[in-house]
Amino acid sequence: MQTFNAITSRVFDVLLAPFGHRWAWFDLLLWPVLAGVAALLIYKLVSNQKGIADAKRRMMVSLLEVVLYRENVLGVLVSTVKGLAQNLRYLGYNILPMLVMIVPMTVIMVQLVANYAYAPLKQGDVQLLEVTLAPGAGSSARSVTADFPAGVAVEAGPVRTADGRVFWRLRMLEDGDQVVTLRAGDETEPKIIPVGNGPRKVPVLRTRTWEALLYPGEAALPAGSAFETIKLAPPDRNLKPFPSGEGGILLWFFAASLVAGFLLRKRLGVTL
Amino acid sequence: MRRAAGLLLAVLLLVGRLDALSSAHAADGKAADKTGIFVLGVDGMDPVVLQRLIDEGKMPSFAKLAATGSFQSLGTANPPQSPVAWSTFVTGLNPGGHGVFDFVHRDPKTYLPISSATLPEDPGSAVSLFGYYIPIGGKTPQNTRGGVPFWDPLMKAGVDVEVYRMPGNYPPPPSDAKVLSGMGTVDMRGGYGTYSWFTTYPVQGREHMKGDIHQVSLSDDDLDGKPDTVRATLKGPPDVFRMPPGHVPGDADYLTVPVTFRVDPEHDAVLVEAGDSRALLRVGEWSDWLPVKFHPLPASLLPLEGIVRFYVRQVRPGLEIYASPVNISPANPAQDISTPSSFANELYALLGYYYTQGMPEDTNALKDRIFDDDDYKRQVALVQQDTTAMLDLALTRFEPGDTTFMYLSDIDLQCHMLWRLGDPKNLDAPPHPARAADEHAVAAHGEDIEGYYRHVDQLLGGVLERVPEGTLVIVMSDHGFQPYTRKVNLNAWLRDNGYLVLKDGKHTGKITTGDVDWTKTRAYGLGFNALYVNQRGREAEGIVERTAAPALLAEIGAKLEAWRDGDAKVVRRAFLGDKIYSGPRTAEAPDMVVGYDKGYGCSDESTLGEISETVIEDNLSRWSGNHLMDPEVVPGVILTNRKLPRTGYALPDVTATLLAHYGVPLPQGMEGKDVFAP
Repeated sequence: MQTFNAITSRVFDVLLAPFGHRWAWFDLLLWPVLAGVAALLIYKLVSNQKGIADAKRRMMVSLLEVVLYRENVLGVLVSTVKGLAQNLRYLGYNILPMLVMIVPMTVIMVQLVANYAYAPLKQGDVQLLEVTLAPGAGSSARSVTADFPAGVAVEAGPVRTADGRVFWRLRMLEDGDQVVTLRAGDETEPKIIPVGNGPRKVPVLRTRTWEALLYPGEAALPAGSAFETIKLAPPDRNLKPFPSGEGGILLWFFAASLVAGFLLRKRLGVTL
Repeated sequence: MRRAAGLLLAVLLLVGRLDALSSAHAADGKAADKTGIFVLGVDGMDPVVLQRLIDEGKMPSFAKLAATGSFQSLGTANPPQSPVAWSTFVTGLNPGGHGVFDFVHRDPKTYLPISSATLPEDPGSAVSLFGYYIPIGGKTPQNTRGGVPFWDPLMKAGVDVEVYRMPGNYPPPPSDAKVLSGMGTVDMRGGYGTYSWFTTYPVQGREHMKGDIHQVSLSDDDLDGKPDTVRATLKGPPDVFRMPPGHVPGDADYLTVPVTFRVDPEHDAVLVEAGDSRALLRVGEWSDWLPVKFHPLPASLLPLEGIVRFYVRQVRPGLEIYASPVNISPANPAQDISTPSSFANELYALLGYYYTQGMPEDTNALKDRIFDDDDYKRQVALVQQDTTAMLDLALTRFEPGDTTFMYLSDIDLQCHMLWRLGDPKNLDAPPHPARAADEHAVAAHGEDIEGYYRHVDQLLGGVLERVPEGTLVIVMSDHGFQPYTRKVNLNAWLRDNGYLVLKDGKHTGKITTGDVDWTKTRAYGLGFNALYVNQRGREAEGIVERTAAPALLAEIGAKLEAWRDGDAKVVRRAFLGDKIYSGPRTAEAPDMVVGYDKGYGCSDESTLGEISETVIEDNLSRWSGNHLMDPEVVPGVILTNRKLPRTGYALPDVTATLLAHYGVPLPQGMEGKDVFAP
């Protein structure tokens, strides 16, 4: 997980570097279009184009049969069944390209979210730091301690809940990547709290589960960690006129890549 | 032919553009030719208190304004109640014109008290489907205020108008002006503010409290022998899709969100979880606004968003947590609270969450003794932060030629609640009857009202400093204040004088629960100052002929004005509705408006139709200052940064001044005269 995240993050750090984080609109326009084009080319390469064309043609034939021979009930029924079978065949042809595309598309989306969905905290902002202990890890919430940098003030906490979570209420005092050190037993883990210094990649969550793949902004927790998650809830970055937040970026990415793919399909000679 | 058509089109487009440009210029020109007006509406500012504080050098901004311009008393409305007075200011009409006569009106067909702010709702009908009621028809609540608000003719004349927190403007009537509704705006439950109180202690007298009282217990979730978690619910809006149309919601008919309080085993701190929102609070701390979503339909369709603040009063030995009334979220209002409806959200984008509840100071929690005076003062400070930020924004947006109105609640509600700790109008006044219960608070809070006056002075200082040169600045209040030491049960007086008769020989009861024998009752009270004749043909079971009503009212009025409490007059003047009001809504007016003398006022119980044992008694409530009296004993104030040529102004004169400033003719029926006219 950690290696995968490190490689993909390094690649995207380089790819996004020329335009920086201030020009979110550029990357939010560019990447869905590139993803749409790449998806078309992958589709063309790995799908059975002839089979897809044939399935679509046969679906159309079945549809015409239904319209032309609608007085013949039995004929309509047979044509409908044939049409549905071709439909299933068509869907079957799409499974392989979908499996091939799912990983690169997810990587692009995850990277766009990590880089653009959140805003760093501002001086004066108040934020809850939440630590969840791994079930069965042997540490209790009362054993969790933390060291805070000078750029962050602890306003309240820790509050240790009966379900194994620990909370602090923090106020941001200084710009910079503030690093909190958390301890549970012998284990020590850092957590970055980004404050000020303009738009950038904002780390949200450290976890030891597969979810770490969705949060490449910071290193995953080791597999045997006493911590299940360490997280912040930074505010959404305002991306107007694009939709904001994780959901907004995902929605935009799907819509824009689909539109781009649909518009370019003929020019690239792809049968969808 | 095609060339000619193209040329014609081009000419038309050009003319259209020029026309549009010239109209825009004309509209801008009307405003730009004039200096603007900035109005601070300070609810409840009293001329006597203000003069004293100016004389003592405690109000430098007001002193400066009075010295460079003018400071006078301002005639208020009759009765001098905020919704009545502000409606008079907004429309320039007396109550007979705008139709708001009291906080509480009555339905003559049922004798039940009804809101004076909204017309009775048409519930429509509904189709029942899988346990849900899908409404068909029906109407959303409409504002009952008649007349034309001053901002409409100003907008038509090209003046940009912004109005912040205008009382009596909920539900907001359609308008092109940017108007945020104030006093009267409901919370998510549809009332004027229902707080929630979560406590592990038993609560005495909870049936008389205005809040949702939850007696809770802590569970020991991790079985370590220390109780740690409370699970409860927070009520939101009525579950309208689960109720037939017209059904009055009972206790179980409200949508809820789960609330969990997780107590730290060692520290006096609590994690509050409300829906998807969280806050970590130590004892004595307030949370920021937390958004909470209520789901009336399955699959989270049409969520209704509210905002709530929590206050941890105590963690050990017992838990005490207060939750504010759930306010309508300005980020995504579940119902309109402004015109245009996007204005509330526009303010949210610039200010963050803010109080949308019409009366944000939680006087109910203080009255119910959930809050002590320290708690209340902290909560008022949150409201002040909101107000200060909103005023700052209003000043930032204010440009030459604009009109902006900003309402300040600082003084009114605090005078209502804190007068018992020290009379700011008469420093030698005898102690208020309600003071004894809170004697310990006098040292800390005895001069709080002065503090709230000084806060308004600071706000005015900012206004005077920041408005463009030449701007007309007006500071006005809707009424002044007096102590409220004696509670009058008007319905008990009517009973004792033979005008109101209870069924079955009862001595006490309620109009609302059918205890009154209408076949023998000639007059009844509903509302803070209102008295009605049980008139045949108008009331459902009326017995007094219309022709006999004037004689009956004259008799009651004479007795009320002769009424003495010891040596003191109880009622200064009893006004006849048809004599003091004029306009199209006069027929809806109370038959008599009871003008109580200083220190006296109608009890809450009698206002809502209760017939109590005693006729008059000491007011031991923390609601200890009042203005629901004869208008002459509670005038408001007017201050301007230009000299006023005359004296004796009243609220409609301020309205007329706003229009006259831009040369806009007064709408038909509007009363008042430009205060600067010779």
